[in-house]
Amino acid sequence: MAEIAVWGVIAALGLATFATRLSFLALLGEGELPAWLRHLLHYVPPAILAAIIAPQLLAGAPGLAATLDGPRTAAALAGFAVAWLTRSTFATIAVGMAVLWGLTLVQW
Amino acid sequence: MPSTDRQHAFLAGVRACIPLAPGVLLFGMVCGAAAAAAGLTPGQSFALSWLVFAGSSQIVATQLFVADAPGWVIVLTGWIVNLRFMMYSATLAQQFRGESRRSRWLAGYLLTDQAFAVTLARALDGRRDIPWFYLGIAAALWLYWQVASLAGIFLGTRVPASWSMDFVVALTFIGVLAPLLRNRAMAAAAVAGGLTSVFLVLPLKLNLMAAALIGAAVGITLEKLWPKSPSGA
Repeated sequence: MAEIAVWGVIAALGLATFATRLSFLALLGEGELPAWLRHLLHYVPPAILAAIIAPQLLAGAPGLAATLDGPRTAAALAGFAVAWLTRSTFATIAVGMAVLWGLTLVQW
Repeated sequence: MPSTDRQHAFLAGVRACIPLAPGVLLFGMVCGAAAAAAGLTPGQSFALSWLVFAGSSQIVATQLFVADAPGWVIVLTGWIVNLRFMMYSATLAQQFRGESRRSRWLAGYLLTDQAFAVTLARALDGRRDIPWFYLGIAAALWLYWQVASLAGIFLGTRVPASWSMDFVVALTFIGVLAPLLRNRAMAAAAVAGGLTSVFLVLPLKLNLMAAALIGAAVGITLEKLWPKSPSGA
């Protein structure tokens, strides 16, 4: 992508995000979210977070023939357990990376 | 509120941000390093950090730049990741009743998951110094983020690829995702989103957007089918 187009994308995403943050605080006042929108906003975060995570556990590209990468999947499961128990992002990263490095070192 | 009370509340917010520092600094560095590694100039990488100022959206945009997705797909997908801020904005607006327009705009610009979550917990405790406490924690978090981004942009590319630091992104998102899975409908939305992104390959890199919408649709449908499960909102 041309450099000027990259700037355009960053600026557009920045403005759209800013408008979303400002929505009720500065622009709409103290309205209520419509119920359907509240439901949508409630369920988008788990869906998109999982959608970002899942392809990073694969040995190759996404597709019908996708297979899991052993060390990354094990590290993700360890991280999930830590996140579930501690709710600490830092502990999740530390344990997950330790598992990934350990399994990579022993050439699993 | 007298100005000394405001100062106290603001400083309490700044202090409340300290326990968040390790995670925020690490994630900020990874986001900065990822943008630089994706071939964005240092100026563009830093612009992502202060214009978008939302790690997951920055990562998504970065990945889509690398995949050579069309600009409108990058903007739309990155924005969908940030739609949740509208919920936070609606909740926070009640706390900012009667505050100046300038502080409302500042509060909006600085809005993040962590600042919102900590502030909401304090508001539920019945504290009355919420706006200035929020501005304190949100401003401190902004500063951590920008410093970490700059460090990542200029130092991150020196970390060898064999360290697999890209996996910090997945682990950070796992750390955010796990506490969200409070009921079956939320878990189902996550499973549907994950499976869609693995098995569905769409042109123009629309996979992520499709995964978000399909996952959300599954969650909403199941919530209607399982009316007794707690909504967790």
